[in-house]
Amino acid sequence: MNRRHILAASLAVPLATALASPFIRPAGAQTLVRASLRLKWLTQAQFAGFYVALQKGYYREAGIDLTINPGGPNLLTENLVASGADTFGLSGGTDSVFAARERGLPIVCAGVMHQQTPFVFVARADGPIRTLADFRGKTITTWFTGANFVLLGMLAQAGLNRGDFTMQPQQVSVQPFVDRQVDVVTATRYNEFFTLMSRVGRENLRSFVPDEHGITFPRDTVIVSEQTARDRPQLVSGFLRATIRGWRDALADNKLGVDSVMSVAPTLNRPHQEFMLVEAGKLMVAGGAAQNGLFWIDHPVIQAAHDFFLRNEVIKAPLDLAAAYNSSFLEALPVADRMA
Amino acid sequence: MNAAAIAALRLLGGVILAGLVWEAAVVGFGIRPHLLPRLSEILAAFAVTPGAYWAGLQRTAAETLIGFAAGTAVGIMNGVIFFRAPLLRDMLLPVFIVSQTIPVIAFGALVVMWFGNTLFAKAVIAFYLTFFPVTVNTLLGLNSVDPRQVALLRSFGASPRQILFRLQLPMALPQIFVALRLGASLSLVGAIVGEWFGDNTGIGVLLLQAMYNESVVALWAAILCAALLGTGFYALVAWAERRIVFWGAEQ
Repeated sequence: MNRRHILAASLAVPLATALASPFIRPAGAQTLVRASLRLKWLTQAQFAGFYVALQKGYYREAGIDLTINPGGPNLLTENLVASGADTFGLSGGTDSVFAARERGLPIVCAGVMHQQTPFVFVARADGPIRTLADFRGKTITTWFTGANFVLLGMLAQAGLNRGDFTMQPQQVSVQPFVDRQVDVVTATRYNEFFTLMSRVGRENLRSFVPDEHGITFPRDTVIVSEQTARDRPQLVSGFLRATIRGWRDALADNKLGVDSVMSVAPTLNRPHQEFMLVEAGKLMVAGGAAQNGLFWIDHPVIQAAHDFFLRNEVIKAPLDLAAAYNSSFLEALPVADRMA
Repeated sequence: MNAAAIAALRLLGGVILAGLVWEAAVVGFGIRPHLLPRLSEILAAFAVTPGAYWAGLQRTAAETLIGFAAGTAVGIMNGVIFFRAPLLRDMLLPVFIVSQTIPVIAFGALVVMWFGNTLFAKAVIAFYLTFFPVTVNTLLGLNSVDPRQVALLRSFGASPRQILFRLQLPMALPQIFVALRLGASLSLVGAIVGEWFGDNTGIGVLLLQAMYNESVVALWAAILCAALLGTGFYALVAWAERRIVFWGAEQ
Protein backbone atom coordinates (compact mmCIF):
# COMPACT_ATOMS: atom_id res chain seq x y z
CA MET A 1 0.00 0.00 0.00
CA ASN A 2 1.55 3.25 -1.01
CA ARG A 3 1.38 6.47 0.88
CA ARG A 4 -1.62 7.74 -1.06
CA HIS A 5 -3.65 4.70 -0.14
CA ILE A 6 -2.82 5.02 3.51
CA LEU A 7 -3.80 8.67 3.38
CA ALA A 8 -7.06 7.82 1.64
CA ALA A 9 -7.82 5.07 4.12
CA SER A 10 -7.06 7.27 7.10
CA LEU A 11 -9.48 9.85 5.77
CA ALA A 12 -12.14 7.36 4.75
CA VAL A 13 -12.48 5.61 8.09
CA PRO A 14 -13.47 8.64 10.18
CA LEU A 15 -15.63 9.88 7.33
CA ALA A 16 -17.50 6.60 7.09
CA THR A 17 -17.92 6.54 10.87
CA ALA A 18 -19.23 10.07 10.84
CA LEU A 19 -21.70 9.30 8.10
CA ALA A 20 -22.88 6.12 9.72
CA SER A 21 -23.00 7.46 13.27
CA PRO A 22 -26.68 8.44 13.18
CA PHE A 23 -27.44 4.79 12.57
CA ILE A 24 -25.03 3.33 15.10
CA ARG A 25 -26.19 3.79 18.67
CA PRO A 26 -24.37 2.69 21.78
CA ALA A 27 -25.61 -0.62 23.11
CA GLY A 28 -28.49 -0.26 25.56
CA ALA A 29 -29.63 3.03 24.07
CA GLN A 30 -31.59 1.32 21.35
CA THR A 31 -34.70 0.87 23.45
CA LEU A 32 -34.92 4.51 24.62
CA VAL A 33 -38.32 6.06 24.00
CA ARG A 34 -38.45 9.80 23.48
CA ALA A 35 -40.97 11.51 25.76
CA SER A 36 -41.57 14.89 27.32
CA LEU A 37 -42.95 16.05 30.64
CA ARG A 38 -44.82 19.36 30.80
CA LEU A 39 -44.72 20.88 34.25
CA LYS A 40 -47.59 22.93 35.65
CA TRP A 41 -45.37 25.92 36.37
CA LEU A 42 -41.93 27.49 35.94
CA THR A 43 -38.88 25.52 37.01
CA GLN A 44 -38.70 25.51 40.81
CA ALA A 45 -38.06 23.17 43.72
CA GLN A 46 -41.71 22.06 43.68
CA PHE A 47 -40.51 19.80 40.82
CA ALA A 48 -37.10 18.88 42.24
CA GLY A 49 -37.65 15.11 42.04
CA PHE A 50 -38.18 15.21 38.28
CA TYR A 51 -34.94 17.12 37.74
CA VAL A 52 -33.00 14.78 40.08
CA ALA A 53 -34.37 11.74 38.21
CA LEU A 54 -33.38 13.31 34.90
CA GLN A 55 -29.90 14.34 35.96
CA LYS A 56 -29.16 11.03 37.69
CA GLY A 57 -30.26 9.11 34.61
CA TYR A 58 -33.22 7.34 36.26
CA TYR A 59 -35.47 8.01 33.25
CA ARG A 60 -32.80 6.58 30.94
CA GLU A 61 -32.56 3.49 33.09
CA ALA A 62 -36.34 3.15 32.68
CA GLY A 63 -35.87 3.37 28.92
CA ILE A 64 -37.12 6.94 28.57
CA ASP A 65 -35.27 9.79 26.87
CA LEU A 66 -37.14 12.52 28.74
CA THR A 67 -37.28 16.26 28.10
CA ILE A 68 -38.69 18.44 30.87
CA ASN A 69 -40.67 21.41 29.56
CA PRO A 70 -41.54 24.07 32.12
CA GLY A 71 -45.07 25.40 32.26
CA GLY A 72 -46.17 28.97 32.67
CA PRO A 73 -49.07 31.34 33.07
CA ASN A 74 -50.36 30.93 29.52
CA LEU A 75 -50.21 27.17 29.24
CA LEU A 76 -52.74 24.53 30.18
CA THR A 77 -50.95 21.23 30.70
CA GLU A 78 -54.12 19.22 30.01
CA ASN A 79 -54.37 20.73 26.51
CA LEU A 80 -50.74 19.99 25.67
CA VAL A 81 -51.00 16.37 26.81
CA ALA A 82 -54.38 15.79 25.15
CA SER A 83 -53.07 17.21 21.87
CA GLY A 84 -50.00 14.99 22.00
CA ALA A 85 -47.56 17.91 22.19
CA ASP A 86 -46.30 16.45 25.49
CA THR A 87 -46.34 12.82 26.65
CA PHE A 88 -46.64 13.42 30.38
CA GLY A 89 -48.00 16.34 32.28
CA LEU A 90 -47.84 17.53 35.87
CA SER A 91 -51.10 19.44 35.78
CA GLY A 92 -52.93 21.76 38.15
CA GLY A 93 -54.69 19.16 40.25
CA THR A 94 -57.94 17.32 40.83
CA ASP A 95 -59.80 20.51 39.90
CA SER A 96 -58.14 20.91 36.49
CA VAL A 97 -58.49 17.18 35.76
CA PHE A 98 -62.23 17.43 36.52
CA ALA A 99 -62.53 20.46 34.24
CA ALA A 100 -60.62 18.76 31.42
CA ARG A 101 -62.67 15.56 31.65
CA GLU A 102 -65.86 17.57 31.68
CA ARG A 103 -64.75 19.26 28.44
CA GLY A 104 -64.15 15.81 26.96
CA LEU A 105 -60.34 16.05 26.84
CA PRO A 106 -58.95 12.49 26.60
CA ILE A 107 -56.59 12.65 29.59
CA VAL A 108 -56.10 10.25 32.50
CA CYS A 109 -54.59 10.95 35.91
CA ALA A 110 -51.90 8.37 36.72
CA GLY A 111 -50.66 9.79 40.02
CA VAL A 112 -51.19 12.59 42.53
CA MET A 113 -48.20 14.47 43.92
CA HIS A 114 -49.69 16.68 46.66
CA GLN A 115 -51.96 14.68 48.95
CA GLN A 116 -53.23 17.73 50.83
CA THR A 117 -54.55 21.09 49.77
CA PRO A 118 -51.36 23.00 48.95
CA PHE A 119 -52.81 26.45 49.70
CA VAL A 120 -53.99 28.18 52.87
CA PHE A 121 -55.80 31.43 53.60
CA VAL A 122 -53.69 33.88 55.55
CA ALA A 123 -54.69 36.76 57.82
CA ARG A 124 -52.63 38.91 60.15
CA ALA A 125 -52.12 37.45 63.61
CA ASP A 126 -52.55 40.89 65.22
CA GLY A 127 -55.68 41.66 63.15
CA PRO A 128 -59.37 41.22 63.93
CA ILE A 129 -59.63 37.82 62.18
CA ARG A 130 -59.30 34.98 64.68
CA THR A 131 -61.85 32.47 63.39
CA LEU A 132 -63.59 31.81 60.09
CA ALA A 133 -66.66 33.66 61.40
CA ASP A 134 -64.51 36.81 61.56
CA PHE A 135 -64.25 36.80 57.74
CA ARG A 136 -67.62 38.58 57.74
CA GLY A 137 -67.33 41.99 56.09
CA LYS A 138 -63.66 41.49 55.22
CA THR A 139 -61.87 41.70 51.88
CA ILE A 140 -60.33 38.47 50.66
CA THR A 141 -58.24 37.85 47.55
CA THR A 142 -58.03 34.36 46.11
CA TRP A 143 -57.53 32.47 42.85
CA PHE A 144 -60.66 31.94 40.84
CA THR A 145 -59.44 28.59 39.58
CA GLY A 146 -60.77 26.42 42.41
CA ALA A 147 -59.39 28.03 45.56
CA ASN A 148 -62.41 30.34 45.57
CA PHE A 149 -64.75 27.36 45.99
CA VAL A 150 -62.62 25.88 48.75
CA LEU A 151 -62.93 29.18 50.58
CA LEU A 152 -66.67 29.36 49.98
CA GLY A 153 -67.03 25.81 51.29
CA MET A 154 -65.03 26.60 54.44
CA LEU A 155 -66.95 29.79 55.11
CA ALA A 156 -70.29 28.07 54.52
CA GLN A 157 -69.41 25.78 57.44
CA ALA A 158 -68.94 28.90 59.56
CA GLY A 159 -72.38 30.11 58.48
CA LEU A 160 -71.19 32.75 56.02
CA ASN A 161 -72.71 33.20 52.57
CA ARG A 162 -71.35 34.81 49.43
CA GLY A 163 -72.72 38.26 50.28
CA ASP A 164 -71.15 38.39 53.72
CA PHE A 165 -67.61 39.20 52.55
CA THR A 166 -65.82 40.66 49.54
CA MET A 167 -63.91 38.16 47.40
CA GLN A 168 -61.55 39.50 44.73
CA PRO A 169 -59.32 37.76 42.20
CA GLN A 170 -55.75 37.62 43.44
CA GLN A 171 -53.05 39.08 41.23
CA VAL A 172 -49.47 37.91 40.96
CA SER A 173 -48.21 39.77 43.99
CA VAL A 174 -49.13 39.37 47.66
CA GLN A 175 -48.07 42.98 48.20
CA PRO A 176 -51.67 44.30 48.67
CA PHE A 177 -51.93 42.10 51.77
CA VAL A 178 -48.52 43.22 53.00
CA ASP A 179 -49.68 46.84 52.54
CA ARG A 180 -52.88 46.03 54.47
CA GLN A 181 -55.13 46.78 51.49
CA VAL A 182 -56.79 43.37 51.86
CA ASP A 183 -57.53 41.37 55.00
CA VAL A 184 -57.03 37.81 53.78
CA VAL A 185 -54.74 36.47 51.07
CA THR A 186 -54.43 33.02 49.52
CA ALA A 187 -50.96 31.45 49.61
CA THR A 188 -49.50 28.15 48.55
CA ARG A 189 -47.60 26.73 51.49
CA TYR A 190 -44.39 26.54 49.49
CA ASN A 191 -44.49 29.72 47.42
CA GLU A 192 -46.51 32.80 48.40
CA PHE A 193 -46.22 31.85 52.06
CA PHE A 194 -42.46 32.28 51.86
CA THR A 195 -42.86 35.78 50.42
CA LEU A 196 -45.33 36.63 53.19
CA MET A 197 -42.96 35.29 55.85
CA SER A 198 -40.11 37.36 54.52
CA ARG A 199 -42.16 40.57 54.25
CA VAL A 200 -44.49 40.31 57.26
CA GLY A 201 -42.79 37.75 59.52
CA ARG A 202 -43.94 34.22 60.34
CA GLU A 203 -45.19 35.15 63.80
CA ASN A 204 -47.46 37.87 62.36
CA LEU A 205 -49.41 35.46 60.16
CA ARG A 206 -52.45 33.33 60.96
CA SER A 207 -53.26 30.50 58.54
CA PHE A 208 -56.63 28.88 57.86
CA VAL A 209 -56.02 25.38 56.52
CA PRO A 210 -58.72 23.81 54.30
CA ASP A 211 -57.84 20.27 55.41
CA GLU A 212 -58.56 21.22 59.03
CA HIS A 213 -62.08 22.14 57.93
CA GLY A 214 -62.74 18.88 56.13
CA ILE A 215 -61.92 20.03 52.61
CA THR A 216 -58.96 18.28 51.00
CA PHE A 217 -57.94 19.14 47.51
CA PRO A 218 -55.18 16.89 46.15
CA ARG A 219 -53.23 18.84 43.56
CA ASP A 220 -50.29 18.44 41.15
CA THR A 221 -51.58 15.49 39.16
CA VAL A 222 -49.53 13.35 36.77
CA ILE A 223 -51.54 13.02 33.56
CA VAL A 224 -51.18 11.14 30.28
CA SER A 225 -53.42 10.93 27.25
CA GLU A 226 -55.96 8.10 27.09
CA GLN A 227 -54.04 6.78 24.13
CA THR A 228 -50.75 6.55 26.07
CA ALA A 229 -52.57 4.96 29.02
CA ARG A 230 -54.13 2.36 26.76
CA ASP A 231 -51.23 1.56 24.40
CA ARG A 232 -48.13 2.12 26.53
CA PRO A 233 -48.87 1.27 30.19
CA GLN A 234 -45.24 0.13 30.75
CA LEU A 235 -44.02 3.57 29.67
CA VAL A 236 -46.27 5.22 32.25
CA SER A 237 -45.20 2.81 35.00
CA GLY A 238 -41.54 3.27 34.06
CA PHE A 239 -41.95 7.04 34.19
CA LEU A 240 -43.55 6.84 37.64
CA ARG A 241 -40.85 4.47 38.93
CA ALA A 242 -38.05 6.79 37.79
CA THR A 243 -39.91 9.85 39.08
CA ILE A 244 -40.39 8.30 42.52
CA ARG A 245 -36.68 7.36 42.64
CA GLY A 246 -35.82 10.99 41.88
CA TRP A 247 -38.17 12.25 44.56
CA ARG A 248 -36.83 9.85 47.19
CA ASP A 249 -33.37 11.26 46.56
CA ALA A 250 -34.60 14.84 46.58
CA LEU A 251 -36.56 14.42 49.81
CA ALA A 252 -33.69 12.57 51.50
CA ASP A 253 -31.12 15.15 50.37
CA ASN A 254 -32.71 18.57 50.00
CA LYS A 255 -29.45 20.16 48.92
CA LEU A 256 -29.22 17.75 45.99
CA GLY A 257 -32.82 18.55 45.06
CA VAL A 258 -32.31 22.31 45.13
CA ASP A 259 -28.98 21.98 43.28
CA SER A 260 -30.69 20.03 40.49
CA VAL A 261 -33.30 22.73 40.06
CA MET A 262 -30.86 25.60 40.31
CA SER A 263 -28.59 24.07 37.70
CA VAL A 264 -31.49 24.65 35.30
CA ALA A 265 -32.67 27.99 36.71
CA PRO A 266 -29.64 29.58 38.38
CA THR A 267 -31.24 32.96 39.13
CA LEU A 268 -33.71 31.49 41.63
CA ASN A 269 -33.49 32.45 45.28
CA ARG A 270 -31.89 29.53 47.12
CA PRO A 271 -33.44 30.03 50.59
CA HIS A 272 -36.88 30.21 48.94
CA GLN A 273 -36.22 27.02 46.98
CA GLU A 274 -35.00 25.19 50.10
CA PHE A 275 -38.17 26.22 51.92
CA MET A 276 -40.26 25.17 48.94
CA LEU A 277 -38.78 21.68 48.78
CA VAL A 278 -39.39 21.08 52.48
CA GLU A 279 -43.00 22.27 52.27
CA ALA A 280 -43.75 20.43 49.01
CA GLY A 281 -42.24 17.30 50.55
CA LYS A 282 -44.66 17.49 53.48
CA LEU A 283 -47.60 17.64 51.08
CA MET A 284 -46.26 14.65 49.16
CA VAL A 285 -45.89 12.24 52.10
CA ALA A 286 -49.15 13.24 53.80
CA GLY A 287 -52.46 11.36 53.73
CA GLY A 288 -52.65 8.15 51.71
CA ALA A 289 -49.01 8.45 50.63
CA ALA A 290 -47.91 7.47 54.15
CA GLN A 291 -49.17 3.90 53.65
CA ASN A 292 -49.21 3.55 49.87
CA GLY A 293 -46.23 5.56 48.77
CA LEU A 294 -45.58 8.68 46.73
CA PHE A 295 -48.01 9.76 44.01
CA TRP A 296 -50.74 7.59 45.50
CA ILE A 297 -54.23 8.26 44.14
CA ASP A 298 -56.48 8.37 47.20
CA HIS A 299 -59.80 7.56 45.58
CA PRO A 300 -62.09 8.38 48.55
CA VAL A 301 -60.44 11.83 48.84
CA ILE A 302 -60.81 12.41 45.09
CA GLN A 303 -64.44 11.33 45.33
CA ALA A 304 -65.04 13.78 48.17
CA ALA A 305 -63.45 16.63 46.17
CA HIS A 306 -65.58 15.64 43.18
CA ASP A 307 -68.77 15.66 45.25
CA PHE A 308 -67.82 19.01 46.74
CA PHE A 309 -67.37 20.49 43.26
CA LEU A 310 -70.63 18.94 42.12
CA ARG A 311 -72.51 20.44 45.09
CA ASN A 312 -71.05 23.84 44.28
CA GLU A 313 -71.94 23.41 40.61
CA VAL A 314 -68.36 23.86 39.45
CA ILE A 315 -68.89 20.67 37.48
CA LYS A 316 -72.36 20.27 36.08
CA ALA A 317 -72.74 16.47 35.97
CA PRO A 318 -71.06 13.57 37.79
CA LEU A 319 -67.84 12.35 36.15
CA ASP A 320 -66.65 8.78 35.60
CA LEU A 321 -63.87 8.93 38.19
CA ALA A 322 -62.77 5.33 37.57
CA ALA A 323 -61.91 6.33 33.99
CA ALA A 324 -60.30 9.64 34.98
CA TYR A 325 -58.09 8.34 37.81
CA ASN A 326 -56.17 5.18 37.01
CA SER A 327 -54.04 3.65 39.80
CA SER A 328 -52.94 0.63 37.77
CA PHE A 329 -49.64 2.22 36.67
CA LEU A 330 -48.64 2.79 40.29
CA GLU A 331 -49.95 -0.60 41.40
CA ALA A 332 -47.68 -2.24 38.81
CA LEU A 333 -44.75 -1.13 41.00
CA PRO A 334 -43.91 -2.91 44.26
CA VAL A 335 -45.08 -0.93 47.31
CA ALA A 336 -41.53 -0.84 48.69
CA ASP A 337 -40.38 1.01 45.55
CA ARG A 338 -43.09 3.62 45.98
CA MET A 339 -42.40 4.56 49.58
CA ALA A 340 -40.75 7.90 50.23
CA MET B 1 -10.03 62.03 18.97
CA ASN B 2 -12.62 61.52 16.28
CA ALA B 3 -16.30 62.40 16.45
CA ALA B 4 -17.50 58.82 16.96
CA ALA B 5 -15.29 58.34 20.00
CA ILE B 6 -16.49 61.59 21.52
CA ALA B 7 -20.12 60.56 20.93
CA ALA B 8 -19.45 57.18 22.58
CA LEU B 9 -17.86 58.90 25.59
CA ARG B 10 -20.84 61.22 25.90
CA LEU B 11 -23.20 58.24 25.84
CA LEU B 12 -21.14 56.46 28.49
CA GLY B 13 -21.18 59.60 30.63
CA GLY B 14 -24.96 59.79 30.29
CA VAL B 15 -25.39 56.16 31.33
CA ILE B 16 -23.13 56.59 34.36
CA LEU B 17 -24.97 59.78 35.35
CA ALA B 18 -28.36 58.04 35.08
CA GLY B 19 -27.01 55.17 37.19
CA LEU B 20 -25.77 57.55 39.87
CA VAL B 21 -29.10 59.41 39.95
CA TRP B 22 -30.91 56.04 40.30
CA GLU B 23 -28.68 54.87 43.15
CA ALA B 24 -28.86 58.23 44.95
CA ALA B 25 -32.63 58.51 44.55
CA VAL B 26 -33.28 55.07 46.06
CA VAL B 27 -30.97 55.73 49.00
CA GLY B 28 -31.91 59.42 49.41
CA PHE B 29 -35.68 59.10 49.23
CA GLY B 30 -35.72 55.75 51.05
CA ILE B 31 -37.62 53.99 48.27
CA ARG B 32 -38.68 50.53 49.43
CA PRO B 33 -36.58 47.86 47.70
CA HIS B 34 -39.58 45.91 46.37
CA LEU B 35 -40.67 49.02 44.43
CA LEU B 36 -37.27 49.98 43.08
CA PRO B 37 -34.07 48.30 44.21
CA ARG B 38 -30.69 50.02 44.13
CA LEU B 39 -28.83 49.72 40.84
CA SER B 40 -25.84 48.27 42.67
CA GLU B 41 -28.03 45.41 43.95
CA ILE B 42 -29.11 44.63 40.40
CA LEU B 43 -25.52 44.67 39.16
CA ALA B 44 -24.64 42.36 42.05
CA ALA B 45 -27.35 39.96 40.81
CA PHE B 46 -25.60 39.88 37.44
CA ALA B 47 -22.32 39.14 39.18
CA VAL B 48 -23.80 36.17 41.11
CA THR B 49 -25.06 34.29 38.04
CA PRO B 50 -23.46 35.92 35.00
CA GLY B 51 -23.79 32.69 33.00
CA ALA B 52 -27.59 32.63 33.26
CA TYR B 53 -27.94 36.20 32.02
CA TRP B 54 -25.38 35.77 29.27
CA ALA B 55 -27.01 32.55 28.05
CA GLY B 56 -30.42 34.23 28.14
CA LEU B 57 -29.13 37.24 26.22
CA GLN B 58 -27.59 35.04 23.53
CA ARG B 59 -30.65 32.83 23.19
CA THR B 60 -33.11 35.74 22.96
CA ALA B 61 -30.83 37.59 20.54
CA ALA B 62 -30.68 34.54 18.28
CA GLU B 63 -34.47 34.15 18.30
CA THR B 64 -34.94 37.85 17.60
CA LEU B 65 -32.42 37.95 14.76
CA ILE B 66 -33.75 34.83 13.02
CA GLY B 67 -37.35 36.05 13.28
CA PHE B 68 -36.38 39.54 12.18
CA ALA B 69 -34.35 38.31 9.20
CA ALA B 70 -37.11 35.97 8.05
CA GLY B 71 -39.74 38.67 8.59
CA THR B 72 -37.72 41.18 6.58
CA ALA B 73 -37.12 38.79 3.68
CA VAL B 74 -40.72 37.58 3.52
CA GLY B 75 -42.08 41.10 4.05
CA ILE B 76 -40.08 42.60 1.19
CA MET B 77 -40.97 39.66 -1.03
CA ASN B 78 -44.65 40.06 -0.18
CA GLY B 79 -44.46 43.77 -0.89
CA VAL B 80 -42.93 43.19 -4.33
CA ILE B 81 -45.46 40.46 -5.18
CA PHE B 82 -48.40 42.59 -4.08
CA PHE B 83 -47.00 45.53 -6.04
CA ARG B 84 -46.70 43.44 -9.19
CA ALA B 85 -50.00 41.57 -8.75
CA PRO B 86 -52.71 43.91 -7.42
CA LEU B 87 -55.27 41.09 -7.61
CA LEU B 88 -53.19 39.01 -5.22
CA ARG B 89 -52.84 42.07 -2.99
CA ASP B 90 -56.61 42.53 -2.83
CA MET B 91 -57.06 38.86 -2.02
CA LEU B 92 -54.28 38.32 0.55
CA LEU B 93 -53.67 41.64 2.29
CA PRO B 94 -57.00 41.46 4.19
CA VAL B 95 -56.00 37.95 5.38
CA PHE B 96 -52.68 39.33 6.62
CA ILE B 97 -54.51 42.10 8.44
CA VAL B 98 -56.80 39.57 10.12
CA SER B 99 -53.75 37.51 11.09
CA GLN B 100 -52.32 40.54 12.88
CA THR B 101 -55.44 40.95 15.01
CA ILE B 102 -54.77 37.60 16.75
CA PRO B 103 -53.26 38.52 20.12
CA VAL B 104 -49.68 37.36 20.23
CA ILE B 105 -50.39 35.52 23.50
CA ALA B 106 -53.02 33.35 21.79
CA PHE B 107 -50.75 32.83 18.82
CA GLY B 108 -47.92 31.79 21.14
CA ALA B 109 -50.02 29.01 22.70
CA LEU B 110 -50.61 27.61 19.23
CA VAL B 111 -46.99 27.90 18.16
CA VAL B 112 -45.80 25.92 21.18
CA MET B 113 -48.25 23.14 20.27
CA TRP B 114 -46.96 23.11 16.71
CA PHE B 115 -43.21 23.53 17.20
CA GLY B 116 -42.65 22.72 20.88
CA ASN B 117 -40.13 24.56 23.02
CA THR B 118 -37.65 25.17 20.25
CA LEU B 119 -35.65 28.24 19.31
CA PHE B 120 -37.51 28.04 16.02
CA ALA B 121 -40.90 28.45 17.76
CA LYS B 122 -39.81 31.80 19.26
CA ALA B 123 -38.38 32.90 15.93
CA VAL B 124 -41.76 32.16 14.35
CA ILE B 125 -43.48 34.54 16.79
CA ALA B 126 -40.84 37.21 16.14
CA PHE B 127 -41.37 36.65 12.42
CA TYR B 128 -45.15 36.92 12.83
CA LEU B 129 -44.80 40.37 14.39
CA THR B 130 -42.18 41.59 11.89
CA PHE B 131 -43.33 40.55 8.44
CA PHE B 132 -46.55 42.57 8.34
CA PRO B 133 -45.17 46.10 8.81
CA VAL B 134 -42.39 45.29 6.34
CA THR B 135 -44.93 44.07 3.77
CA VAL B 136 -47.08 47.18 4.10
CA ASN B 137 -44.18 49.63 4.01
CA THR B 138 -42.51 47.91 1.06
CA LEU B 139 -45.74 48.19 -0.86
CA LEU B 140 -46.11 51.81 0.21
CA GLY B 141 -42.56 52.59 -0.84
CA LEU B 142 -42.90 50.87 -4.20
CA ASN B 143 -46.15 52.69 -4.91
CA SER B 144 -44.60 56.05 -4.14
CA VAL B 145 -41.96 55.79 -6.89
CA ASP B 146 -42.45 58.54 -9.50
CA PRO B 147 -44.05 56.89 -12.57
CA ARG B 148 -42.14 59.30 -14.82
CA GLN B 149 -38.84 57.83 -13.61
CA VAL B 150 -40.14 54.34 -14.38
CA ALA B 151 -41.22 55.52 -17.84
CA LEU B 152 -37.78 57.04 -18.40
CA LEU B 153 -35.96 53.82 -17.56
CA ARG B 154 -38.39 51.84 -19.67
CA SER B 155 -37.72 54.17 -22.63
CA PHE B 156 -34.02 53.29 -22.23
CA GLY B 157 -35.01 49.64 -22.67
CA ALA B 158 -34.69 48.55 -19.02
CA SER B 159 -36.34 45.24 -18.18
CA PRO B 160 -38.94 45.06 -15.34
CA ARG B 161 -36.33 43.29 -13.21
CA GLN B 162 -33.80 46.07 -13.79
CA ILE B 163 -36.41 48.69 -12.99
CA LEU B 164 -37.25 46.87 -9.74
CA PHE B 165 -33.68 46.50 -8.52
CA ARG B 166 -32.20 49.75 -9.84
CA LEU B 167 -35.07 52.13 -9.20
CA GLN B 168 -38.10 50.90 -7.34
CA LEU B 169 -36.54 48.97 -4.43
CA PRO B 170 -33.83 51.59 -3.73
CA MET B 171 -36.50 54.31 -3.77
CA ALA B 172 -38.64 52.25 -1.39
CA LEU B 173 -35.75 51.73 1.06
CA PRO B 174 -36.50 54.74 3.29
CA GLN B 175 -40.04 53.41 3.80
CA ILE B 176 -38.77 49.86 4.33
CA PHE B 177 -36.35 51.03 6.98
CA VAL B 178 -39.16 52.71 8.89
CA ALA B 179 -40.73 49.25 9.13
CA LEU B 180 -37.39 47.63 9.99
CA ARG B 181 -36.87 49.96 12.95
CA LEU B 182 -40.37 49.07 14.11
CA GLY B 183 -39.63 45.39 13.43
CA ALA B 184 -36.44 45.55 15.51
CA SER B 185 -38.52 46.28 18.62
CA LEU B 186 -41.41 44.02 17.66
CA SER B 187 -39.25 40.99 16.96
CA LEU B 188 -37.68 41.30 20.43
CA VAL B 189 -41.16 41.48 21.95
CA GLY B 190 -42.13 38.40 19.94
CA ALA B 191 -39.10 36.44 21.10
CA ILE B 192 -39.67 37.37 24.75
CA VAL B 193 -43.38 36.55 24.63
CA GLY B 194 -42.50 33.26 22.92
CA GLU B 195 -40.30 32.38 25.90
CA TRP B 196 -43.29 32.71 28.23
CA PHE B 197 -44.62 29.42 26.94
CA GLY B 198 -42.41 27.16 28.96
CA ASP B 199 -38.69 27.24 28.29
CA ASN B 200 -35.46 27.12 30.26
CA THR B 201 -33.30 29.82 28.70
CA GLY B 202 -33.92 33.38 27.60
CA ILE B 203 -34.61 36.90 28.84
CA GLY B 204 -38.35 36.12 28.78
CA VAL B 205 -37.82 33.11 31.03
CA LEU B 206 -35.80 35.22 33.49
CA LEU B 207 -38.52 37.90 33.44
CA LEU B 208 -41.25 35.38 34.16
CA GLN B 209 -39.34 33.60 36.92
CA ALA B 210 -38.53 36.88 38.62
CA MET B 211 -42.10 38.16 38.29
CA TYR B 212 -43.75 35.09 39.76
CA ASN B 213 -41.19 34.63 42.51
CA GLU B 214 -41.67 38.31 43.42
CA SER B 215 -37.94 38.70 43.14
CA VAL B 216 -37.75 42.39 42.30
CA VAL B 217 -33.98 42.54 41.89
CA ALA B 218 -34.04 39.66 39.38
CA LEU B 219 -36.96 41.32 37.61
CA TRP B 220 -35.00 44.54 37.15
CA ALA B 221 -31.96 42.58 36.06
CA ALA B 222 -34.03 40.91 33.32
CA ILE B 223 -35.55 44.26 32.34
CA LEU B 224 -32.06 45.76 31.97
CA CYS B 225 -31.05 42.81 29.77
CA ALA B 226 -34.10 43.31 27.56
CA ALA B 227 -33.42 47.04 27.36
CA LEU B 228 -29.79 46.42 26.43
CA LEU B 229 -30.77 43.98 23.71
CA GLY B 230 -33.57 46.17 22.39
CA THR B 231 -31.48 49.33 22.30
CA GLY B 232 -28.53 47.53 20.75
CA PHE B 233 -30.60 45.98 18.01
CA TYR B 234 -32.43 49.23 17.26
CA ALA B 235 -29.11 51.06 17.07
CA LEU B 236 -27.79 48.41 14.69
CA VAL B 237 -30.76 48.83 12.35
CA ALA B 238 -30.51 52.63 12.54
CA TRP B 239 -26.78 52.42 11.76
CA ALA B 240 -27.48 50.18 8.76
CA GLU B 241 -30.10 52.68 7.62
CA ARG B 242 -27.65 55.57 7.75
CA ARG B 243 -25.13 53.52 5.77
CA ILE B 244 -27.52 52.14 3.16
CA VAL B 245 -29.97 55.00 2.70
CA PHE B 246 -27.21 57.59 2.69
CA TRP B 247 -29.20 60.03 0.56
CA GLY B 248 -31.81 60.88 3.10
CA ALA B 249 -33.13 58.56 5.72
CA GLU B 250 -35.47 59.70 8.43
CA GLN B 251 -33.26 60.32 11.44
